[in-house]
Amino acid sequence: MRIICPFCGERELGEFTYLGDAKPQRPAADAGEDAVYDYVYLRDNIAGVMSEHWYHGGGCRTWLKVTRNTLTHEISAVEPAAGAGAAKVGA
Amino acid sequence: MADFSWEVRSPLDRALVAGSYGAQGDAGVSLTEIRNFDLVQVMARRGKAGEMAKAAQARFGIAAPETPKAVDIADATMIWSGPDQFLVLSKGGKHTIEALAPVFVGSASLSDQSHARALIGISGEKARAMLAKLSSIDLHPDVFGVGAAAATSMDHTSVTLWRGGDHDGQAVFNLLVFATFAESLWHTILDSAAEYGVTIGHSEELA
Ligand SMILES: [Zn+2]
Repeated sequence: MRIICPFCGERELGEFTYLGDAKPQRPAADAGEDAVYDYVYLRDNIAGVMSEHWYHGGGCRTWLKVTRNTLTHEISAVEPAAGAGAAKVGA
Repeated sequence: MADFSWEVRSPLDRALVAGSYGAQGDAGVSLTEIRNFDLVQVMARRGKAGEMAKAAQARFGIAAPETPKAVDIADATMIWSGPDQFLVLSKGGKHTIEALAPVFVGSASLSDQSHARALIGISGEKARAMLAKLSSIDLHPDVFGVGAAAATSMDHTSVTLWRGGDHDGQAVFNLLVFATFAESLWHTILDSAAEYGVTIGHSEELA
């Protein structure tokens, strides 16, 4: 598997580290215990297209949001994660 | 308080043995460690990439690289190291962190890497064949021309790789590696280069 880093270009899997599901959003401070438990521990086990966080630690050290099909490994989109590459994100 | 005396020495001081190594005959690979350089990491503060670019332009008279490239100026090289960040490599104290701090005040954070990296120049007829064993990126001249740069990994070690100006019609690859990984990567490079024959040396001059 290869990932096309938006900053570096196409690179082998070994340069990247997998974090996991990019969907969960940190709940508000007063959201309650169940919401925090859900955010920290509960994950869907998706068979199909999934949004994931990957870290290009062996390259430009940027966090990426990768849209990947977990059944085929087909990657349909790669974009910098929020906060990565200050100029390119946050628009 | 105890008295310390610090002796500055290269991370490759022990591992590097000048001379020839591996196959006899004409060496296919030439390895030159460059010592005693100034290296400063410049990283834009959030939302300040434009200001950083302006400051770099004013200081160096040329735009800092915004894509994986190395840009030579008269007395330094700016090397892309990631989005909104680059390294300034120089000799002779002209672009030390003390010299650059006022230039980038408010726009970028600076970090002195002069003693944190080892710099290895790789050339010779078989340089690219040797690097192909260590790197998964395409270093063919059609793809990785003079001035191309990459933040990548070799032997599971993060490196900054860029192609300098040709020397005697041959490509010169420059490699920056973390000081504490330098010896390990050096031995891997020697293993990879041995079959081609290697000339080893060190220099005080940037390639
Ligand atoms: Zn990257």
